[in-house]
This record gives sequence, structure tokens and C-alpha cells, in this order.
Amino acid sequence: MEALYHLRQKNLETIFHPKSVAIVGTNKVKGTVPHDILDGILKADFTGIVYPVSPREKSIKGIKAYKYVLDIPDEVDLAILVFPSSVNHMALEQCGQKGIKSVIIISAGYKEVGEAGLQKEKQLIEIARKYDMSFIGPNCLGVINTAPGTLLNASFAREMPEKGNIGFLSQSGALCTAVLDYARAKHIGFSKFISFGNKADISEIDLLYYLMKDEETKVILMYLEEVSDGTGLMKAARDVIEQSGKPILIIKSGRTNEGASAAASHTGSLTGKDEICDAAFEQAGILRCDNIEEMFNKAIAFAYQPAPASEKVAIITNAGGPGVLTTDAAISRGLKLAKFSEETTQILKKALPATANINNPVDVIGDARSDRYLAAIQAAFDDPDVAGVFVILTPQSMTDIETIARDVTEIAKGQTKPIYASFMGEKDVAVGVDLLQQHRIPHYILPESMCSAYHAVYHFNKTLKKRVHSMPDIDGIDKQEAKKLMDNALSNGRSYIPEVETIEILQSYGLPVPQGRLATSADDAVAVAEEIGYPVVLKVVSDDIIHKSEVKGVELNLDSAGAVKDAWNRIHENVKASMPEATISGLYVIRMIKGSEEIILGIKRDPSFGPVLLFGLGGIFVEVFKDVSFGVAPLSREVAVGMIEQTRAFEILKGLRGRNPRDMDSIVNALLRLGRLAEDFPEIEELDINPLFVLDQGQGSVIGDARMIVTTTK
Amino acid sequence: MDKNEILTRVKGVVSSVLKTDSSEITDDANFVFDLGADSMQSVELVAGFEEEFDIEMDQDRALEVQNIDDAVNFIAEYV
Repeated sequence: MEALYHLRQKNLETIFHPKSVAIVGTNKVKGTVPHDILDGILKADFTGIVYPVSPREKSIKGIKAYKYVLDIPDEVDLAILVFPSSVNHMALEQCGQKGIKSVIIISAGYKEVGEAGLQKEKQLIEIARKYDMSFIGPNCLGVINTAPGTLLNASFAREMPEKGNIGFLSQSGALCTAVLDYARAKHIGFSKFISFGNKADISEIDLLYYLMKDEETKVILMYLEEVSDGTGLMKAARDVIEQSGKPILIIKSGRTNEGASAAASHTGSLTGKDEICDAAFEQAGILRCDNIEEMFNKAIAFAYQPAPASEKVAIITNAGGPGVLTTDAAISRGLKLAKFSEETTQILKKALPATANINNPVDVIGDARSDRYLAAIQAAFDDPDVAGVFVILTPQSMTDIETIARDVTEIAKGQTKPIYASFMGEKDVAVGVDLLQQHRIPHYILPESMCSAYHAVYHFNKTLKKRVHSMPDIDGIDKQEAKKLMDNALSNGRSYIPEVETIEILQSYGLPVPQGRLATSADDAVAVAEEIGYPVVLKVVSDDIIHKSEVKGVELNLDSAGAVKDAWNRIHENVKASMPEATISGLYVIRMIKGSEEIILGIKRDPSFGPVLLFGLGGIFVEVFKDVSFGVAPLSREVAVGMIEQTRAFEILKGLRGRNPRDMDSIVNALLRLGRLAEDFPEIEELDINPLFVLDQGQGSVIGDARMIVTTTK
Repeated sequence: MDKNEILTRVKGVVSSVLKTDSSEITDDANFVFDLGADSMQSVELVAGFEEEFDIEMDQDRALEVQNIDDAVNFIAEYV
């Protein structure tokens, strides 16, 4: 895999910076992909040499055409295949024979059309491996590189986008054309623009690593439809952020969870694919966006302006209402209004009319022209408490929109603090908005979007970029003992491992198990109770019973030998009445825990991201309140702490309204141990600890109940 | 009908539809990769073979035929 990674990185360099390109399968028919790809390359003024390869044409657009790629007398760096899928393998084979290592396969008709297409795709991969080639696609729009030394538009997009510092990756080709059109209208430029289609060979992970090292790219955007290697994507994202500091913004479509199946555990029913994706992205430092507009609103803030040093902003407005709206939007997104120094206040007092508001938000008044805006913006930039400036403008009759926009672009030059603008309206402000966009001042129709973008940049730089991903040392783990217990539990082919055996396995990983054991008679149950001390809990143990309380198989708070014996009989009668076919192995007798908070911990294995940990408020209402959070194993201590802090349960655990603070360290410890268990035993599909009784700070926690779903196919 | 005769007549149809010199058409030439047929011409080729040999072919199977040799063998099933 390592060798393949290096091969792809090397071949990607030639995909983006070829000296010569062969368009294999092109033709003269305007409006067709084979023609328009060649046309796009020529129109973009590609700096290298172009070789049309067409079985029937002697020349296309005045350029000599070759029947086969093998007929080209010179070396070729990049081949773009535009033949139908039925013959692309023949073209690829010839590319291999020609010594071409870098290929883009535009054509559709592969995996996306079913089994026959999948076989064709596998054939392409085999040929690529045979000749050490790498390819993007198939089923893609192509690749664009706006670098002046290359100017490659190897796509059937209508036009080459403006040059910029945003790298865009997309699994959908059609979306790419819409994005390019959207971006062109807003003067948003790109460094690289890549549609990777079916990602049969080069994937989004390879491309992330490539863009990490690409000096032209400052921000990475991605549209994904399926995460086929979630673990690899998370690692790549962390590497990119840690090593280059570049933010990654992703739209992952498919937020709804129609496919969720009924699950046997709480963790299973609480863990949707999209929640896992959210948690994984957050953990990796990826900023997930809901739509194109949100993505670009944030992207331009990252791409155009310096990062803010704090969350404190100054708002400069020519209207009171929009100033209040922006203030509300800022505060509700975790930003703060900067407190101006006395010096700033005096400057504003001198520069603005007496009716102006010289506090933050600064109201330069409706009749303000550019001079007032400039004075207020400069004063804000110079104030030590201000980390960023928001310029709000409404188009009043005396507002010189164009001049103000032009002056904003001038004053922003060379500043170390970011400036964003919201020229509110549409038609009248259009001329100003266009100027701002041309000069890379992030502009937002809504102040809310502006504040969200600022917060995203601030949050990324303050938190995500600096997040530590070191894995903690965990002692007291006996993997061999756990393996022995697991093998024993799985020996009869079960997929459901009941409480007693699950708890034994958890004990071998140092999790806090309750005092007690399995009793096989009423007298035995009394003996256990005497041994561990009253009060105790009795619980039915049966391979056939998953939800014990539903068959009235649990009795709490038993404080004497008589109470234990009575409970023994009642549980047996209850189970017999509701599940007569169930085989009872005995009753589990454990010490009753009082004075604690109940939480749930769990494991769920995701096909893409691997083992996922769950934390939440526990008890019988867990599925109603759904106050849960997720983390992908392996967990760092910081991520485990973050899982607790992001729930409402955190407030309760801290000690709400005079209640004692609970032992949160013991929860973190349990999460880390569960994470290790999930990694060590891939056969664990789902695991519930519900409840975990969390005692007062320093007192630890105790497992109240646990069960496990395993698969025997791993 | 003799396969050599089918081959000669197939090349004639291909030459006519794709406007290619029949001497340049090899026996194993692929309609798309070697001769540059597009999807419309592929349909025209099937129609041309039907007319030339006065047969009616299974359209789906006929369109899957990719080269001259295979076309000769496929048409031989009908004549």
C-alpha cells in the first residue's frame, strides 16, 4: 500500500503538471465530450503539447491527429481517455505500452451501471497495476489546474475558472459544473479542481495528500457521496491539518438515515451512520458543511483573509437594525463584541457626527459616505481588542456603494486582521458586491453567514488545528484473558453474549465491574448477598433474554435473605409466564449501587470508520432523550473528554443545583478502555454498558448492566 | 454462405458506413477503437449488415459485437 501511495503521488504530479497530453478517443463532433475535452484544453492555453488521438481523423482543429497513442513519436506525460467504456481498456493498455504513467478516464459506463461495469473497472485497475500507471476516474468531469505555468483544463467544464487558492475535490461530476458556474459569478478562484468520479484507483485520500503539499492550495473543499475508507480519510485529514494547517471542508451527502435497521442494543439504535460521520469528521478536524453556499461562505473566509486572533469583532454599520441583527448573529455563534479602548472611542468621536453610535456596533449613520466608513474601519483595525472587522452596508439614497466598496478593498490591503462585508440587498448593492468579490473581500448576503464563517475560521485555528491526537497509555489490560473469555463465549456459535460473560470480558480490560456473581439456586443467591453485603440486585441470566426488564427479570434493593429468596421465586415465575421457552442459567447477584448518575457507554462497529464509541445519559429513557455523543476509536484522552463535554449530561455530572459533582475521570477511563477493547476485538459488533453508575468525584463508577453482540465472520 | 464471402461483404458495409478504405480494415479491427465508429454509426452498421445480408438480427446482441471477426461469426448464424 505504501508503494502504491508513493506511485500515485508521483503520477499525480504529472496529472496536474504535464508537459504533453494525449486526448485518446477525441473527435470533431462539437458538443460531445471527446471533442469538448480537446477544445477545453486548447481554449485554456495549455502550456504544453497536445496530441489528439482519433482512429478516423488525420487532424483536429488544425493539429495532427494520431490513430493510436502508440503512433505518437514523442513522450507523452498524461493521457485523457474519452473512448466509450467498451474499448477504454484497449486504449489504457496502449498507454501502458507507450510508457504513459498518468491517466484521466472521463468515460462513464463502469461501476455506476452495475456488475458488468464493475468488471470493466477492475480490468482498468489490472492494466494500471501492470504498467505502474495511476488514473483519476472513470466517470468524472476531469481535472483543472489554473497554475500559470500549466493552465490545464482537462475537463468538459464550460470554462476555465479564475486562479485562486482553493482546491476542490468532487465525487460528482455534474455538481462540479454547477460549482464552477456558482464560483465564476462570485469571482471565486481555484488552484486545483478535480472530479474523481468512481475513484477506482486514485481516491480522495490520495488527492488530500497531494493538495497538502500543493503550494498553490490554501483551503481544501470536497463533495463526497460515500465514505469508502473512513479510517483512511480521518488519518489523511489529520495529517493534512497537522502538517500543513490547511482547513478541509466537506459536504457529505446522504444525511438522512433511511437505511437504519432495527438494532438489538441501545447503542445500535442510537447510532446512525450520519451521526458517526459527523463525529468522525469533527474528531479529524474536518469542517462538515450542509450545502454549497455554506461551504463557499466559509471557504472564502479561510482563503481570502488572515485568521482572527480572537472571537472579538467590531461591527461598522450605516443602519441600526442590521447592526443589531449582526450583533445577535455574532453572539449566538459564540463571537463577542470587542470593547473599544478610550483612544479608539476618542478617534470615533472626532470622526463621526454627534448622532453616530461610537460604541460597538459602530453606527456611522445612514447618510455616511466612504470617509466615515474608512475612519471607523481604521480605528477598529487599530484597536487592540478587535480581532476582526465586519462592514455592514444598506443602500440608502446617499450611500455611495461603489466608492465605499472600493475603499474597503484598499484599506484591507496589508492588514493582519480579517475584514468581512455584508452589503445587504441585491440589485443596488450588486456593483459594490462585485468589487468586493473581485478583490477577495469575503462578502455575505446575510450577517448570519458572515458570523458563521468567522467562527469557523476562529474555531479551526484555535481548536481543530491544535488538537492533540496522542494515544494514552492504558494499564491493567489482560488481552490474553479477554481472548480466552471471548473464545469461550463464542464457542457455541452465539451472536449475543449476555451480561455475566460480557462483564467478565470488560473486567479483563480494567473496567469497573460490580461486586457479585452468578447464583444457581436461591440458597446460593443468599450466600452471594451475605458475601458482598446488602442491599443487592437479582437479574435473570439467559441466552434467550436480551431485555431483562421486559420479562420482569430484575429485582432491586433486596435487603435481606428472605427478600432475596422471594425475589428468586418471583423472577423465575415472571420469566416462565412471559417466555416459557427461555432457558435460565441462574440469577446474577450484584451489590446495589445508590447515590449515582446513570450513563450509557457503548461500542458500535461502522463498516467505514471502524469501532465507534458512544457516551450519553443513561437509564431507561436513553432512546427518548438521545443525549449522546460519539467518538471513533482509537480515542485520545482529549476526544474522550470532548465526548462528555458536548452532551447535556455534562452539566448534570458537573453537579447541578447542589448535587455532588460526579467522577468524570472514571468515565473517560472507561471510554479509553472500551476503545482499546473495540480495536483489539474486531468481532465485537455492538456493546452496551447501560447503565454505568457514576459515583461522586474520586469514588469511581460501577457497571450496572452490559451486553454484547458479536459476529463470528471476522 | 462461405465465411470469406461474409467477411468481404462485411468490410464493404463497414467501408461504406464509416467512409473508410476497405483495404485499411483488418480482420480483427474494432469498430470503435480502430475504426472510430460512434454510437450512431454502430446502429447504422447493424442496419447495413441486415440490408446487405437480408436478415433480421437480435439488436441488443448485434450492438455488443465489437469487431469484424465477431461480426462475421454473428452474421453466419443468420445466413
